[in-house]
Amino acid sequence: MGAERRAAADRRTILVTGGTGTLGRELVARFVAGGDSSVVVLSRGIASSSAFHAGSVRWVKGDLSAGDSLALAATDRDELALAVTDIVHCAADTTFTRALQDSRLANVEGTRAILDFARACPRLERVACYSTVYVAGRATGCFGETDVGGGDGFVNSYEQSKAEMEDVVREAMAELPIALYRLSTIIGDSRTGAVSGFNAVHHALRLLYQGLAPMVPGRAGALVDMIPSDFAAAAAHELYERSFIPGETYHLCAGASGSTTLGRLLDETIAAFERHRPAWRKRSIARPALVDLDTYELFVRSVEEAGNQVLLQATRAVQAFAYQLAYPKVFDARKAEAALAPSGVRVPPVLEYYERVIRWCIETNWGAPA
Amino acid sequence: MSDVGIDAVTYWLPQAAPTLDELEQRGALRGSAATLAAFGFRQARVAESESHVDMAVHAVRDLLGETGTAPEDIDFVLYAGALTSSTTMECAPAPAGSVLQMRDLMDFFKYPVSRLQSELDLTNAAVAGVDQQGCAAIFSAVRLARATLLAEPDVRTVLCVSADRLPHGTAREVVYNLVSDGACALLMRRNAERNRVIAMHQVTKGAFWDAGSLENEIIAAYFPTARTVIEDTLRKAGVTLDDIDWIIPHNVSLRSWEILLGLIGAPREKLFSENIGRVGHTIAADNFINLRDATDAGIIEKGDLLLLFTFGYGLNWSCMVLEH
Repeated sequence: MGAERRAAADRRTILVTGGTGTLGRELVARFVAGGDSSVVVLSRGIASSSAFHAGSVRWVKGDLSAGDSLALAATDRDELALAVTDIVHCAADTTFTRALQDSRLANVEGTRAILDFARACPRLERVACYSTVYVAGRATGCFGETDVGGGDGFVNSYEQSKAEMEDVVREAMAELPIALYRLSTIIGDSRTGAVSGFNAVHHALRLLYQGLAPMVPGRAGALVDMIPSDFAAAAAHELYERSFIPGETYHLCAGASGSTTLGRLLDETIAAFERHRPAWRKRSIARPALVDLDTYELFVRSVEEAGNQVLLQATRAVQAFAYQLAYPKVFDARKAEAALAPSGVRVPPVLEYYERVIRWCIETNWGAPA
Repeated sequence: MSDVGIDAVTYWLPQAAPTLDELEQRGALRGSAATLAAFGFRQARVAESESHVDMAVHAVRDLLGETGTAPEDIDFVLYAGALTSSTTMECAPAPAGSVLQMRDLMDFFKYPVSRLQSELDLTNAAVAGVDQQGCAAIFSAVRLARATLLAEPDVRTVLCVSADRLPHGTAREVVYNLVSDGACALLMRRNAERNRVIAMHQVTKGAFWDAGSLENEIIAAYFPTARTVIEDTLRKAGVTLDDIDWIIPHNVSLRSWEILLGLIGAPREKLFSENIGRVGHTIAADNFINLRDATDAGIIEKGDLLLLFTFGYGLNWSCMVLEH
């Protein structure tokens, strides 16, 4: 074997799922920038690679819902399995309002498929699986990196399917070199405020802006944990590349020191609306009332009985995210923080960048085409 | 705190009381009878031959009779109208017995309050109209009456009146509430024996003036602002919700009250809700119809603190604390 071929054979091949998502896209960029890896993105549709990393990434059309074949031709699958040294599994259905069976299909069965594929990779060295800190579900209090979620039930199908996905991952840890990373809610870039993937938080903010969010379940003093996308990517990359320990679980979250209270967050939101759209103040939109779950559910039931479609959509959108606020908790991230300390990667407090995200949402009309 | 209070309350409701099903059959509901029933309504009170002025006259006549007040002892009349039609003589009987249709320019200068003064011989009373606040109009009348009694020693007795009826053929449902016709009359004095006004507070949000096109935004604005207004009124009164013995509501849906009680943290038992199903939402007269009935039923005791809250288009949120 010539030196060039040997070098190519020694080169890492990183298979990334969910490479077009908020986190996956950032990780692909960082792997490419590292220069020592071949990056393969598994995608249901061949994305327009000109949008990012043109020429540096190999796109493979596949589908996790097809099982361990990944919907690849047998020869392509075998060739990929022989090459892959790393699997970075970011793919997920993060929609909170999906039926549980649909969430399971994407998040549980999709993970099972990629892990089955991993078992067929002879050069495999590392697998990263990404989950959410909200596998904690309805638990309250401190939720640690070694805790397993679900004992108190879940707020939505996304949380439940991710907790079930973790069960699959933990079982596979006995035979595969897997580390599990639980992320908090990603709300935007801390430097620019740009949002690359809208989620339930952004939808709730938009409803508040439109004056269609009369109440939110939760207590004013409850902490809301959110992280910026640039921290999520930097921390995920750093932990994977330089602190990978099979069998470990890490929290990528704001924690108690980086979070703020729900009451303060609502105040900051209203203040940001008024600062960046002075005309908004003229609309006299009230700060949503914080209420207990029973009251909120009575309101939701009333809207359903009244058949008011606009408010129904609004309450359901808020409901999916906001129910979690009624179960106050703090996420402990001591392991992740210790592992990240040498790199200097740290999560900024949410109030340092939150206003930039709000401003970006307003100025882009929540990403709507001009 | 003042010694100005509401010494007496009367009201007048039309006899006709069609049920939700009957109203639905007449096409008088926008939504379904079942939804309104689930929200706590049973029937509406509907004026057939009576005009709003007739109802006001009935209520004031009863008030004068019950309290033994001579008509000439009334110094000031504040006539509150929630509907814009209530501040005109539209649909009211003309002296000749016809019904005014507001076609002639001079019809726009015929005022219900002047007609009331004339009809009841309130010869010493100055009169004024209070309007453009929807269901909160009567609260503003009370506020102005109180201010007048405090500021003008020669004014001793103020009559506040509210009367509204929907024009014929109008749907009797507004934002999931069943609307009735009715009137109330209040007698306000210094050194009142009951219902002393401890504090009042009002918030207006004119941004929502176009009620028809902002229905969802108005529903969303209603609850958090209601909570703020109630809390601010309690603060002004120097009391807490725990000090309040009874909440005397406007008769919007029981469901919306249950939600609002959840927001402010008040127990359901403090709400006098008996009239919501029986009477419906008489636009501006609700709180005082309820105050009178709760008094007659003997459930309010001397010295009880009462919280009255209402909401009107415009938008207006109004609240007062009374000491019974």
